Amino acid sequence: MKEKLHPFHISVLVFMIQAGVVVFFLPRMLAQYMGYNGWVAIPLFSVVATFNIFLISIVYRLGDGRSIFQIMEQSLSKLIVYPVYTYLIVVWTLLGCIAAKQYIILFQVFVFPTTPIMYIKLLVDIIAFSLIIKGIYNISKAATVFFWMVIWTILMLTFFIKGFEWVNLTPFFFKESTNVVVGSISIFSSFLGYELVLLLFPYVDSKKGFMKAVYFGNFLTTIVYLSISFVCFGFYSFKQLTKMKFPLVDLLAYIRLPFVERVENIFLALYLVTSLMSITMYIWAATETAKSLIPRANKRWITAILVCCAFVVSWIPNMLSEVELWLKYLGYMALGIAFGLPLMLIAILVIHNGGKKIA
Amino acid sequence: MKWSRGTYNPPGTDNKQEDNKQTDDANVPASLQHTLDNFKDCTDLIHHTFPEINVNLVYFGHLVGSDELFRDVITPLTNVRENEVQALLTRNQYKLTPDSKSLIKGILNGQAAIFHNDKAYLIDIYKPGSRSIEQSETETVITGPHDSFIETATANLSLIRRRVKSSHLKVIKLEVGEVSKSTVYLLYIDGIANMEYVRELTDRINLIEVDAVYDGNMLIQYIDDSPNSVFPLFSTTERVDTAVSKLVAGRIVGILDGSPSVFAAPSSFFEFMASPDDYYQRWSTGTAIRVLRFIALIITLTFTALYVSVTTYHYEMIPEALLLTITESRSKVPFPPIYEALLMEITIELLREAGARLPTKIGQTIGIVGGIVIGQAAVQAGFTSNILIIAVASSAIASFVIPSYVMSASIRLIRFGLIIMAGILGDLGIALGIAYLVVHLSGLTSLNSSYLTPVSPNNFNDWRDVFIRAPFWALTRRPTQSRSPNAVRNRMRK
Repeated sequence: MKEKLHPFHISVLVFMIQAGVVVFFLPRMLAQYMGYNGWVAIPLFSVVATFNIFLISIVYRLGDGRSIFQIMEQSLSKLIVYPVYTYLIVVWTLLGCIAAKQYIILFQVFVFPTTPIMYIKLLVDIIAFSLIIKGIYNISKAATVFFWMVIWTILMLTFFIKGFEWVNLTPFFFKESTNVVVGSISIFSSFLGYELVLLLFPYVDSKKGFMKAVYFGNFLTTIVYLSISFVCFGFYSFKQLTKMKFPLVDLLAYIRLPFVERVENIFLALYLVTSLMSITMYIWAATETAKSLIPRANKRWITAILVCCAFVVSWIPNMLSEVELWLKYLGYMALGIAFGLPLMLIAILVIHNGGKKIA
Repeated sequence: MKWSRGTYNPPGTDNKQEDNKQTDDANVPASLQHTLDNFKDCTDLIHHTFPEINVNLVYFGHLVGSDELFRDVITPLTNVRENEVQALLTRNQYKLTPDSKSLIKGILNGQAAIFHNDKAYLIDIYKPGSRSIEQSETETVITGPHDSFIETATANLSLIRRRVKSSHLKVIKLEVGEVSKSTVYLLYIDGIANMEYVRELTDRINLIEVDAVYDGNMLIQYIDDSPNSVFPLFSTTERVDTAVSKLVAGRIVGILDGSPSVFAAPSSFFEFMASPDDYYQRWSTGTAIRVLRFIALIITLTFTALYVSVTTYHYEMIPEALLLTITESRSKVPFPPIYEALLMEITIELLREAGARLPTKIGQTIGIVGGIVIGQAAVQAGFTSNILIIAVASSAIASFVIPSYVMSASIRLIRFGLIIMAGILGDLGIALGIAYLVVHLSGLTSLNSSYLTPVSPNNFNDWRDVFIRAPFWALTRRPTQSRSPNAVRNRMRK
């Protein structure tokens, strides 16, 4: 029996790719770039992401569930297709490895200042490799378990009901916002990840439920981002929030139980799985693309080579600021893919179908 | 693995000599001389002759029932004349067996061979000695039935038939072991079980190449999907009620002759956390116990590892009041926490293993020696901290809460990996270890169905009988893993 992805798995997968280490500093970014009550911007970004998903759904409908590689290869010359593939492979591989490195640096800063980063990165990459080679169905199964491992942590926000001050949510909206355009792109990057569903077309079980599941996954991310940001904006004052590097980590440090405190250590460790899913899915996407580029190549070897390349490249940026800079530019490129690729595919399909199916 | 006359042949290399001999036997007409030649030096073979009626009788005395032998064979043969023997042997309990191979196989299976006028007949009077049906020692329950399977497959079949009085209960008979020729019965309920699973399991058993299989737990290692995994992929039980519940749930149950462990497939990881007790108590109590078992699973996996992690890297996680107690208890210990923890964990495992091998009375002594003498002395000598003793003991107790012994042993082994990871990378090490565990579990299948069902693929309906034990009115559907054609309970096809 051929295993297919159920809508629930797709929602979970989308959420797990989107959510990651960014939750730890998203409230700060919102405060810095969007100003007072920056959390209100989250639904706006979510709407943009939803529109992007709508573009993907058009591709899915017009393409009749065909793989995007089939769509591209049947209409475009290899001279155009191959550079596009190469671009996708490079961006997705780099995004996967740098996102994982960002998490590891963050963990190292808080917990293991003397442990070599690349040693931890190696362990993470080995786990990611062993997951990628199991295929998308098993990746989604692992994602579902990881999802249940992390989603309950959102309940921890109830600890802050007592410290929540409505006065911190001033009546001003987006006042003192700076660098809105650049900031918006950075914040929107935290929603990226859903674009990888473009590669899931051949693996889905239910045609009807598929796109709904993607919307739901994005909605779930929005709810989680919104809850965390809202609590942070209500718990900290605006000025505090702009000056904190990782507001959520500091927030979690407030939780004290009779037998344990400083639980942020546990949560930081637990959020490894979200970073693991990001690296896994981005490199899986790169592997799928590479397989289309070199159809004869062994998938296992492609994955091994890409993971090794990712590991070597992640050696270059050393500091958190460097990693953030890399991520900023990679975010721009991924944004280009998220909007550009569906638009290109729609154009191809419209030309190829002669506009028959659009209506 | 194939065996012939004491010579081991590696897997994949068929023993042609054995095959040729079997082919020859199949072609050789059944004869007394050939049979006796085959059983040469088998002193336990009994050979009776009835010269006045020209009949020879051959059988293994310990495999047949003496009542059946006298009633069905000896008495009728002594009461007939030679010209009446042929008529007697036409009765349908006597099976004419033309070839030597079937004849020898029949004798080995507890049938008596009757030779008359160059013809051979078999009569089934199989009744091997067996122990009586007793309570299972490995799967005890407080309430509920106490009978359990024994080593005789036919007795086990009767135990199941007594509980499933349905013609839909089907039994497939297979054979395993080149030398042992053990019988395996595959049971399923027609109309409830998925026939794809039945075919798959039959194929897998037919493909086994081994000299002998001694136990159901051994057999499943030949037929499960990932023999290298630390986890048991098919569940085994000695309890009749459990086996019947698996059948009714649409799973396939396998009985190996000579083993009291009956296996069921497909199985999921979470199935190993259920005990029949859950169903015999009120649903709220059953649910509480089941939740407790999942807590026990988390404790046994992570408690000692967390101790190592916190006392090695994350002292800041300990509240001030507790910090003094922990530092005081650790102040005398000269080893890093990881050595201390591994030392105690290994000691606990030694005690468990020693206790399992010794007779019950001496086993209790081991418990006292281990628990009081070693535990107390180790703390006083400054070898280990008393907080660690609590952590290790809690983990050990929690591991025994898992109802399946095989699963409990697997979890205990994994715990060592997590302790080592915690010693190397603290909380992150534990997270990495658990992540790897999840990745491994995600790749596992049981009869090609996901081992993590119903969490992944997700099915909330099944959660009612996995994480809790919902009231019976709410348990209306069979588990999705069974892929039953008749998913709704109480709706049997006629």
